[in-house]
Amino acid sequence: MFRQTLCGLLLVAASGAQAADTVKIALTGPFSGGSAPMGTSARDGSKLAIAEINAAGGIQVGNKKMKIEIIERDDEAKNERGALIAQELAAMSDLSGVIGTVNTGVCLAGDKHLQEKGITKIICPAAGSASMTQWSKAGVKDNSIFRFAAYDGIQAAMVVEEAINRKFTKVAVVFDSTNYGVSGRDDMLEQIKKQGNKLTVVAQEKFNIGDKDMTAQLLRAKSAGAEAILIWAIGPELAAVSNGEAKIGMKAPLIGGWTLSMSNYIDNAGKNGNGTLMPQTFIEEAITPKAKSFIDGYHKAYKVDRIPSAVAAAQGYDALYILAAAVKQAGSTDTKKIKEALEDLKEPVKGVIATWSHPYTKWDPADVTSHEAFRREQVVMGMVKDGRVVFGNDADRARLIKSATSVTPAKTGKTKKK
Amino acid sequence: MNAQIIGQMAVSGALMGLVYALIAYGFQLTFATSKSINFGQGELVMISAFFSLTLTNLGFPYWAMVPGGLLFGALMGLVVERAGVRLALEQKSEGWILLSIIIGLFFFSAAENIWGRDDRPFPTPISADPIHILGVDVTRLELSVAVGVFAIMGLIELFKRRTLLGKAFEAVSADRDAAELMGISSTRTVMLSYGLSGSVAALAGILVSPITTVGPTMASALILKAFSVAVVAGLDSGFGVVLVGMFLGALESLASFYLGSGWREAPGLILLILALALRPNGVFGKATIRKV
Amino acid sequence: MKRILLLRGAELVVFAFLATIPLLVVNPYALGLLTLLAIYGILLIGLDVTVGYLGQVNLAHVAFLGLGAYAAGLVVTKLGLGMVPALLAATLVGLVLGGLLALPALRLEGPQFALATLSFAALSTTALNELEALTGGAQGLSLSRPPLFGHALTPPLFYWLCMVLLAVVWMLMRNLLASQWGRAFEALRDSPIATDAMGVGTYKHKVAAFALGSSLGGLAGGLYAFNFQYLQPQSFTYDLMIILLLGVVLGGRKSLWGAFVGATVIVLLPNLLSNRLLFQIFSGLGFAGALAAGVQGLVKKTTRPFQALAPVVAMGLLVVGGLFVENTEDWRKAIFALMLFSVVVGLPEGIMGFLALFLAKLFRVPHAPLPEPADLDTMLPIRPADGSALLVLADLKRYFGGVKAVDGLSMTVRAGTIHGLIGPNGSGKSTVVNVISGLYTPTAGTMQLRGATLPIGSLYSVAQAGVARTFQNLQLFGELTALENVLVALKGVYRNPLPMVLLGLARREERTAQAQALALLELIGLREQALVKAKDLTYGAQRFLEIARALARKPDLLILDEPAAGLAHPDVLQQIEFIQRIHQRGITIILIEHHMDVVSELCDTVTVLDGGRIIAEGTPDEVKRHPKVVEAYLGQPPQPELPGGAEPLPA
Repeated sequence: MFRQTLCGLLLVAASGAQAADTVKIALTGPFSGGSAPMGTSARDGSKLAIAEINAAGGIQVGNKKMKIEIIERDDEAKNERGALIAQELAAMSDLSGVIGTVNTGVCLAGDKHLQEKGITKIICPAAGSASMTQWSKAGVKDNSIFRFAAYDGIQAAMVVEEAINRKFTKVAVVFDSTNYGVSGRDDMLEQIKKQGNKLTVVAQEKFNIGDKDMTAQLLRAKSAGAEAILIWAIGPELAAVSNGEAKIGMKAPLIGGWTLSMSNYIDNAGKNGNGTLMPQTFIEEAITPKAKSFIDGYHKAYKVDRIPSAVAAAQGYDALYILAAAVKQAGSTDTKKIKEALEDLKEPVKGVIATWSHPYTKWDPADVTSHEAFRREQVVMGMVKDGRVVFGNDADRARLIKSATSVTPAKTGKTKKK
Repeated sequence: MNAQIIGQMAVSGALMGLVYALIAYGFQLTFATSKSINFGQGELVMISAFFSLTLTNLGFPYWAMVPGGLLFGALMGLVVERAGVRLALEQKSEGWILLSIIIGLFFFSAAENIWGRDDRPFPTPISADPIHILGVDVTRLELSVAVGVFAIMGLIELFKRRTLLGKAFEAVSADRDAAELMGISSTRTVMLSYGLSGSVAALAGILVSPITTVGPTMASALILKAFSVAVVAGLDSGFGVVLVGMFLGALESLASFYLGSGWREAPGLILLILALALRPNGVFGKATIRKV
Repeated sequence: MKRILLLRGAELVVFAFLATIPLLVVNPYALGLLTLLAIYGILLIGLDVTVGYLGQVNLAHVAFLGLGAYAAGLVVTKLGLGMVPALLAATLVGLVLGGLLALPALRLEGPQFALATLSFAALSTTALNELEALTGGAQGLSLSRPPLFGHALTPPLFYWLCMVLLAVVWMLMRNLLASQWGRAFEALRDSPIATDAMGVGTYKHKVAAFALGSSLGGLAGGLYAFNFQYLQPQSFTYDLMIILLLGVVLGGRKSLWGAFVGATVIVLLPNLLSNRLLFQIFSGLGFAGALAAGVQGLVKKTTRPFQALAPVVAMGLLVVGGLFVENTEDWRKAIFALMLFSVVVGLPEGIMGFLALFLAKLFRVPHAPLPEPADLDTMLPIRPADGSALLVLADLKRYFGGVKAVDGLSMTVRAGTIHGLIGPNGSGKSTVVNVISGLYTPTAGTMQLRGATLPIGSLYSVAQAGVARTFQNLQLFGELTALENVLVALKGVYRNPLPMVLLGLARREERTAQAQALALLELIGLREQALVKAKDLTYGAQRFLEIARALARKPDLLILDEPAAGLAHPDVLQQIEFIQRIHQRGITIILIEHHMDVVSELCDTVTVLDGGRIIAEGTPDEVKRHPKVVEAYLGQPPQPELPGGAEPLPA
């Protein structure tokens, strides 16, 4: 007992005493368990970027080039682990930044420790609204937490918009019983109200993680006359919904959160998944040379022929480049200076999703989008077609190619609010 | 419409319940000979399914993949017996509970790293298109589960009754000490039971994977229900698990339809506690007279 | 004195060390881990009550952690109350719900108990998730740490609060578990039937143990809520439960220190394993340790080959795997599993069980000295043998389905006599005893003890009415010492209420009890072996101990069920002498016996049963010559010359 405690204390002490000739960046997320496909994809996307940067000699910090050192922590999608990891990271004196977290609950449990110490964190790819709104609710004046993901507010708006555009009037809202699913339901319901109550919610159905038989939920939706299913859930249970529809001969298309683009949905739903729509920030299609090199690079480095979660991987990749740009601009590994640089990035960052120009602005408690990188413009509707995600409409495709090659319009402060 | 929905719910639920029953049957096999069960049985279901998937991907046809998967399951069952159960049984301690959990944890982590963390489809020649029977939609896949479950349980019961080895199995189940005196090695019989139980788990994996997909966490929800079925039916109830499994499956389906999907499991759980309080040895279990 | 100094000293040193940490280290991470350690310490001490002392696999503990956490959280957020009421509410929720759950779970054991508790845990997660209006459902409940007596609780202050609570729980539990309560819990684990038959009451104690353990779970939950300040129902699921269970077993069951060590391991290990260097050090050390222990075990032949080799293989796998695997973070669970496997196989008594043995040897900690035996005449005064009717059975029947095990039995046992009950196998003797002692409910008939109706169908009530019994198949509390076996049954000494026991103010009566128990052990010649575990006694000694334990009930009627079964001849003679000694104290005895010599030597009256009916009654000599008796035993009419007296009849 003593030995272990002592070792732990020594370790903690030792980690503070190391010479600072590297840029220390922590990558966190669930690397085992149900959310692991997203967690590992985001991590591996970031690691790919790190490998590229390190191969080029590192980041130019002041007058010397410094390589990036990775600190990896598996939060197992558990809040408790997330809180402990955040405490551990918060105690590291020479940490430059943190990228990661898939589960909104983990953000809620852990990020306060980082925020207290002013450690810069880019949340990626957790999209639940609460992870940023907690700071505006608390009214913090200075916030070191950023997000690099199409947050649920944007996504829910797009989902509802899409359903209205497709002339549906009766919809079923289906969600899983996790924080992600439930807050997605709230966002969708709010958006339906906001967009003029053009949709009638005829059924609200919930399922648990691990449920594979959705007959009950679907039968209720069917008998209530739902024409489309607005869905918010993590993971393979989504496929069970599509397959369940096929079984009971229901034809309502699924429209929902970006997780519908994950391979565990597409593969497992097979042809039943055709026509499913979801907002996307990245589609695993080599539409630009940058995207091609990223996709090929990922496949080669991790010996896969498809990225488990392309969206998470691409976001992890871009988030790291943005953080690296901030380190460079700050000319320091000091996390507080990096935060300031992030809030005012001078040079556009060429990412795989887009070219990011001024993604963040100074934190404004009244407007969470000051620390949100994604705007409606960077998100498109993707559609499942024969086992792949393709663009829901071609105009989006053209727009994305344009945004990836040219510079995204600089942010003008409080343009959009959730 | 209403009667049809109830029918649909009950049938879908009951067919899922058969999978619970099959895994529960695996619990019974080892409990009969050794009074122990493998708390990591879900991980056996999972790794056997992954292994079978690999066989399929290597180009083995379905009929060759199934025995391969069963063999692998049996092998893993033997690993659990040797590493986790035997010592504890020799020492008459309850260490097997923890050791089987720990071995399951190891299998879980190994599978995550060998096969990946993602859920994947499991190809099968059996069609997933629904067929319409008496106003109820059933897929051929679901029917194949029923066929598979009854086939393997029937085979094992035949084996226990008709072969010499099977009779040794029955003898050890009935009275371990007496069987030992008759020259039957109880250690080997326990091994046999774990091997069979592993095969049963593997078959459960192969049957259920096309419906639920294969992934490291695929069995975590299944296993708790299978455990409930085994205990409520009685750990020595034989085919009782089939009835209880189908009942629980149907009940869950109906509960989620009428009470709302979040409360899906609640009636089953409450019934379970009540059933146990009233009949501690299970609904179909043999009541024992306390002797001193 | 040395013992007290060592034990209390160790506690004091550790707690003092832990208390000064915030003054020395300002690292919030280390402090966070230590706070969690204190919380888990309380949690595991609670779990140990059911898992260690009651010996049941309790899978509901995590639910009490969750319910306690939510209770505290809701008291703060919805009712706006402070820290103290919140923690009280958390504890109370655990206490009440734990007690309620114990009611249906009461009859269950083993897998059934595990399942019932598991279902409860699943139900409570469902409820927390679904009652969105109250708990916030899956979106969780955010709360802030309220001040305590006007002081804002900074991390060090909160840590101290947790430590103080752990210390308080530690002391209360130490007192409780060392008292009659703790012994009763353990007795329950080893033999619920004997526990009831000794008038201890499985019902009360099982509910108490469960409620108590659960209330600690609730308290830990309250602290958990204020530690993390954000709650979600899915934090409290099966996964965490398994980790907690492993913690208790790893640390060592039935030990406060064990719970503490277990908490340390489960809190620190996952965090420490994240570091590659530390992982290599740990696996290297583990491998070396396993190898050394394994080789030593094999050479000295103290362990089985598997037990020696398996940990070496597992740790070897860890070392070799560590060289090949690029990313240890990916393999965390497998690493955890291999380490746990090695400990569970290599140290079945847990880390603390192993260390306790080792330390006890190292420091030669003696057992606390025992008092002088009490005076037998004061504690068990000689009763007059007036020959009045003590137990009257009238037309007693007990059927099992179609089998008439006892079929219309009427019998009177007179005060101060030894009443023999004999008969061939299957004649119904044991059933009669089991009906009288309350294990079976009679199908028909009446039973009266000193003119009052004897309670039926409850071992506990019959025992309370003044009947004590022994068991043909020994039902000792194997893990308890001989002394403790007697103490569990001891009647009329323990009077202090629970709060006094908890506060450690019941030491005086404990001494009195020990003195009385020693007197009884002396009566049957086991005083020297008072501190030997019952399972380690010789078979003969175990039989004697059963009698001493029954005698501790200070009974009006003592039922001895085949006290000489399986005994060697010298032991039989010894046993006869002991029974005579007891008889001299005026205690009425019903003796079921096969050995005819024992019966003839001891009994005043003998009743012979066959097929559930009385076929003869009288003095031993009369009965022995009774033609029906001879026929029942030998299956043929009586021979004129029957060897009398000393030879046992074939049975």
